[in-house]
Amino acid sequence: MASYLARRIAQMALTLFLILTVTFVLVQAQPGDYASFYALNPDLPPDVKEQMRATFGLDRPVWQQYLIHMRNTVTGNFGVSFGHFPRPVLEVLAERLPRTIVLFGTATAASVYIGFLLGKAIAWRRGGLLEYTATISGTVLFTAFTPAFALTMIWLFAFRLGWLPVGKFLDPLVWRDADVTSTSVFSFMLLTAVAFVGFAALVLFISGRGDRIGRRWPATLALAAGALVAALAWTLSGIGPLALDILKHMVLPVATLTLISFAGTMLLTRNSMLETVREDYVTAARAKGLPDGQVRDRHAARNALLPVVTSLIYSLIFALDGSVIVESVFSWPGIGLTLLEAVRSEDLPLVMGAIVFIGFLSLLSHLIVDVLYAYLDPRIRYQ
Amino acid sequence: MRSWSTRSPAPGASPEPRGGGLGGGRLRLLQARARLALRSFRSGMAVFLESRLGLLSLLTIGVFALMAVAHPILMGTVWDADTYDPVTGYAFDATEQPAPPSWKHPLGTDPLGRDVLSQLLSSTRSEFALGITAALVTVTIATTVGAVSAYYGGLVDSFFMRFADLVIALPSISLLIVLSALFDLSLFYLALVIGVLGGFGGTAIVLKSQALSIKVKPFIEAARMAGGGQFQIIFVHIVPNLLPLSLLYMMFTVTSAIFAEAVLSFLGLLDIRMSWGIMIHTANAGGYLLSGTKYWWLVFPAGASITLLCSAFYLAGRALDEVVNPRLSRRDG
Amino acid sequence: MAEAGGRDSAGGGRAAPILRVEGLALRYLTRQGDVRALEDVSFALARGESLGLVGESGCGKTSLANCLMRLLPDNARLTGGEVLLDGEDVLLLSEDEIRSVRWRRISLVFQAAMNSLDPVYRVGQQVLEAIEAHGVETTATGGRERVARLFRLVGLDAGVFERYPHELSGGMRQRAVIAMALACDPDIVIADEPTTALDVIVQDRILRELKRIQEELGISIIYITHDMAVVAEVTDRVGVMYAGRLVELGETASVFGSPLHPYTEALMSSFPSVTGAKRPLASLAGEPPDLADPPPGCAFHPRCAHATALCREQRPPRVGLGDQWAECWHPLAADAVPLGGD
Repeated sequence: MASYLARRIAQMALTLFLILTVTFVLVQAQPGDYASFYALNPDLPPDVKEQMRATFGLDRPVWQQYLIHMRNTVTGNFGVSFGHFPRPVLEVLAERLPRTIVLFGTATAASVYIGFLLGKAIAWRRGGLLEYTATISGTVLFTAFTPAFALTMIWLFAFRLGWLPVGKFLDPLVWRDADVTSTSVFSFMLLTAVAFVGFAALVLFISGRGDRIGRRWPATLALAAGALVAALAWTLSGIGPLALDILKHMVLPVATLTLISFAGTMLLTRNSMLETVREDYVTAARAKGLPDGQVRDRHAARNALLPVVTSLIYSLIFALDGSVIVESVFSWPGIGLTLLEAVRSEDLPLVMGAIVFIGFLSLLSHLIVDVLYAYLDPRIRYQ
Repeated sequence: MRSWSTRSPAPGASPEPRGGGLGGGRLRLLQARARLALRSFRSGMAVFLESRLGLLSLLTIGVFALMAVAHPILMGTVWDADTYDPVTGYAFDATEQPAPPSWKHPLGTDPLGRDVLSQLLSSTRSEFALGITAALVTVTIATTVGAVSAYYGGLVDSFFMRFADLVIALPSISLLIVLSALFDLSLFYLALVIGVLGGFGGTAIVLKSQALSIKVKPFIEAARMAGGGQFQIIFVHIVPNLLPLSLLYMMFTVTSAIFAEAVLSFLGLLDIRMSWGIMIHTANAGGYLLSGTKYWWLVFPAGASITLLCSAFYLAGRALDEVVNPRLSRRDG
Repeated sequence: MAEAGGRDSAGGGRAAPILRVEGLALRYLTRQGDVRALEDVSFALARGESLGLVGESGCGKTSLANCLMRLLPDNARLTGGEVLLDGEDVLLLSEDEIRSVRWRRISLVFQAAMNSLDPVYRVGQQVLEAIEAHGVETTATGGRERVARLFRLVGLDAGVFERYPHELSGGMRQRAVIAMALACDPDIVIADEPTTALDVIVQDRILRELKRIQEELGISIIYITHDMAVVAEVTDRVGVMYAGRLVELGETASVFGSPLHPYTEALMSSFPSVTGAKRPLASLAGEPPDLADPPPGCAFHPRCAHATALCREQRPPRVGLGDQWAECWHPLAADAVPLGGD
């Protein structure tokens, strides 16, 4: 497993290197000079221009600029944002990255989970009403024009029904008297989520290293207790309402992103499951006299999960693109919206920084999928 | 041609590949291959037609094709350019813009007083042009890359596959957004970029693994022993066998091209005069989108067209998948 | 014990065999029409007996095994007969009731051991799973000890518990699958081509092991195979199947010594002799019939050297010689007499 992961990480480092090269080439290839781009920007005071020129090595030969570009990226020096002047690009992105990760991560987890459950169900009982409804509605949502669908969701749930806020990250009225920043509250929320996921992983690991065939209620109980503790801590902390406000703003974008992307996993699970149900070990499980649900979940679906996880990479990229669109429609201040605003205001350093971050995010999710796969398939884990 | 007509009255009936000249033998081989292809096409078609969704998708694509053809005809006959031009027209007959549907304007007019139906039809044509250009570029590149890296393996293979990893790792919409900041993207350039991304990305990987399974087939070995050059083996023997799968991925490329164009136009990042995405962009910029169903004609026709044409190509691709992909075939069940 | 089974008369007239199959018929509904996978199959199995079922592939051996455990695909239809397990018809049980028959009463050793072990779970857990599903052991340690005992029984190291299927050799996997089949003390084990995927030496060792275990535990085993050597080595009685029918049944020694049915004889001679006497190695000409459209009369007549007009038109009667019987118009032993009552 270690060598497998080491190989994957090495490949990813190579890919990241290629991404950086490509971004550099793109900037060089664009019409007009990168140097004059800075020189002509009227918003920049002369000393900043000089500083930028030094940072990017704009008066040096191209190959030196390339080396500087690489070094800058590795050290996180993306220069100063024009649009958010005088904040450095890295600071702007660091503030917005967690928001994208949360939006994208929650929606991906939800859509994979829902897609897997539905795919499993429609493969097990073929030709039912569920199969038709799920396949057709899933495909329509999958291919629906995302911005139009997102706007429909806003219109329906925010305007018509008034259940949820229209968009943005928070409601200024709730935050008027707050003495904490939204970023710090959000960081606490993120911290809680990470802690809970870590706790859950630990519980699952202890309760039989994940692949034990046996009772599961102790693990479920432990997880429920963990969730209770977290909820209690938030209620007592005093910033609970603020967190709730952010959560309320999250619901609609997450739901939209989930709905547009669950069909991919669903159809994949269905196809994969149709192959595993024909395997001998599924017949063996049935011959052993296991209940139907156990044959389906622990044997057929468990093995069908492997190719689904492999293809998760594609759905993750799809969802990452989707979150750029969703962020722009819902004005959710994440990396996607930042990229778009930067493009519109010709804030080139921020554009380049954002695309590198998006590429990095996609590689990171690659890595997570690889770890997950290695964990799920003992043939990889014990190589 | 001549060598065939002098040789035997019933071509293909008697197998004599050795005796005849190269021309005759090759022609007969091609004929046999064509017959075989036709037969597998027929049985494939039968499976395809069994899928009702696939049939429905083909029908939908057909309707959109008719719409694309209809626009220039209508402009040439009943619509005058001053009123109905999708970009520069203005409906002087309407009292306020956007005007609701009427006899003269079946889908109403947009906030700038332009006829929505005319916009919808003219956009259909550019969507087809975009989708098909992108798909052709993708398939040309992916088939070549797949066949070449399967045939040579080693360093060539590693290079193309690492490159494919890179292309997959970059979310394409985000990359296109960046490109739109650096360059002026017209419809043609957009098609080219999408095609190149698709061709070097996932499609190349799939076609390479298919090409690998073809490479080990006996007829490749036979062609090599018969003295076929590398170029000939790749393009005469491997590539034609990749075509069914390429066709499948063409469908998916069309979907992603239309989708990408619509998103970028909606965000107002493209250098295009009219498209479904721009129609929605215009409505959104004027704040008409969140007024619910009141101005439905501004959003619904364009939004539905994008969704319908995308899903039609996607579902046609999936139905084709059942034909091309033996693992999914349900004929024995 | 084993010999008692061998002395059993044709059709199982002895008091209370553990399993009796009567007139079993099974069809598969396909687009090409109904495939008659099993037709009027009857036999009995005594406690502790080992019965071999032989025939070419596609003759219905595996379908028969699946019928006994009711593991049939959706397009299968049972069109007649009964499977009496201790007098109770398995075919009439509800889905819940059949689950307690599976593995607890009848278990299976699958054809390909690699494929019948789930690749994502540890081998021991998969055995434990069956034990837990049937409540054979109530405590966790009891279950583990039982698995350890089973592994010892089949000659596996206790450490195999924590291994994954891909970490085991073919022979070890086969042993694990046998241990799994024995997990719930079944009365009957169906061994479906238990050794085909293995090399000859391992094959032999595992067969001997199975035989020893059978004698130790007093279970009945049905060997399903196309390998005459296996039949000769481990079975008390043997049934020959052809085109979904049981065409001959008798003590292994007498069936090998003097087959009644021409098909049995052909089958014997298409394998090198194991009993010693040298015979010419003849391979059987022709193909088994299409079960969607079986030939009239005796299904074997298109390939039979002895076939007459009678064979082509009418179903052959059951003829017997001692406790051996066959369905044939022209049995190879002249003193075989028609059996009544069918």
